[in-house]
Amino acid sequence: MFGVKNLTFKYPKNKQNTINGVTFKIKEGEVFGLLGPSGVGKSTTQKILIKLLHKYSGEVLYKGDDIKSYGKNFYQEIGVGFEMPVHFSKLTANENLNFFKKLYKANANTDYLLKRVGLYDDRNKKVSDYSKGMKGRLNFVRALLNNPKILFLDEPTNGLDPKNARIVKDIIKEFKQKGGTVLLTTHLMNDVDELCDRVAFMADGKIAEIDTVKNLKVKYGQRKVDIEYKNHETLEKESFDLNHLGMNEKFLRIIKTKEIITMHSKETSLDDIFIKVTGVEKHG
Amino acid sequence: MGSFLVLLLGEIQRMKKYNILAASVLISLIWIGIMHFTGIHDVTQIFPLFIFLDVTSMSILLIGVTMFFEKQEGIIKTLMVSPISKAEYILAKTFANSISNIETLIILYVYAKLFKEININMVGLFSAVVLVSFFHSLIGFVFTYYSKDFTRLLMWMITYSFVFMTPVLLEQVGMIRNEGMKKIFYVIPTKTSMILLNASTGGIKPWEVYLSVFYLLIISILLYFVVLKKFDEFAIKESGV
Repeated sequence: MFGVKNLTFKYPKNKQNTINGVTFKIKEGEVFGLLGPSGVGKSTTQKILIKLLHKYSGEVLYKGDDIKSYGKNFYQEIGVGFEMPVHFSKLTANENLNFFKKLYKANANTDYLLKRVGLYDDRNKKVSDYSKGMKGRLNFVRALLNNPKILFLDEPTNGLDPKNARIVKDIIKEFKQKGGTVLLTTHLMNDVDELCDRVAFMADGKIAEIDTVKNLKVKYGQRKVDIEYKNHETLEKESFDLNHLGMNEKFLRIIKTKEIITMHSKETSLDDIFIKVTGVEKHG
Repeated sequence: MGSFLVLLLGEIQRMKKYNILAASVLISLIWIGIMHFTGIHDVTQIFPLFIFLDVTSMSILLIGVTMFFEKQEGIIKTLMVSPISKAEYILAKTFANSISNIETLIILYVYAKLFKEININMVGLFSAVVLVSFFHSLIGFVFTYYSKDFTRLLMWMITYSFVFMTPVLLEQVGMIRNEGMKKIFYVIPTKTSMILLNASTGGIKPWEVYLSVFYLLIISILLYFVVLKKFDEFAIKESGV
């Protein structure tokens, strides 16, 4: 759906490039996570993809055509969910949504969406009377109101309680099931683990790693299994390499002759991979 | 409904909700109060002066106020990812401004017609208001682009009033009589605005009206393209880049 090739961008007041030769693809119908510490170029990359920044070098293709060749109708197919509130505070939620709906050819059933995110009963309240979480959910509805084909979501569950975060994640999954494509930017690795098909980690304006979540876990995981077992009256621990485990005589002897208390394969979390790949520890 | 019309109606709705139209009515009432207490019965000659003050300063201010609200509330971000063009956005704001100015014009005219004497070409005045309001709304955009906050916008407005409006007002009330000075004033847009508004009362030479219309149209078109060109820069800055 999107093809980004050798994308480079520098802000006029900066000495260095914010993005340095970034190349990746977002496939139709996938949830693609763009991850990394603050200031590495995630938001800038997203702003280029939604045509907010123009003076870049490299190539950005949308459905095979240069993104620069698209006019305002590009936004008929795009939904953007911002992290910060983006609504007229002295208008009600309904008035806000009705105003924006009129700008689009296709409209979603916003009453249904408001019900899903638990804002229907408050739809006639002014947005200024909304809590932070309510404003976040309204942003999410705003992003969906034109039945977009691709959703750009920036921290969609930020500030939400677990129940509402679950609802938002469920709607994202349903959107994907219906063939929608999502570019997700978040710091919450649990959301990434649950929602993303593929992720790209950015560091210093470059893509440091890009793959499926599963492959990354395999790649960065310590392929080991830890065993706790009883040896007479004492509790002992051993760690074995997962490779050729079935031929490891010591491992086989333990599981045949000892009482096993616990046995865990060591799986690296996305948080660990994030830290390792982006060098966030190095930067402090 | 086209995007322009949606944006225009949205502007008017918000001008009501944010009490901007109410403030505009309040200012009209202040002008009425001044007209009332001047004791002048035939207000034909001073009427364009009130309209001049409203159309010039209020146009600049209204653009600034609505855009600062939008900046504060993050609206510019979401508008930039909506299927609208920047020309539609700019024109919707300027036309909404004209509607507010026309509202003031109607209120003042109704008062003058009911309680005073007035002899004015309303079609001519109406057209002049639209053109002058359009130009000054664009000035409002430029000032907003270069203002970090509302105080800075007010500073720009005060500077503009002092440099461009004061000489015209002094000439209007007869305090500037030097012919050379009067000719120099033709290059400032407030002078041509005043000529157009005064033309509705009669007594203005046709060439002055034609020159003023031509001049104001040309500088409005030029300014429109400047506003259009600088909009991206402003919007990107305001969207948090």
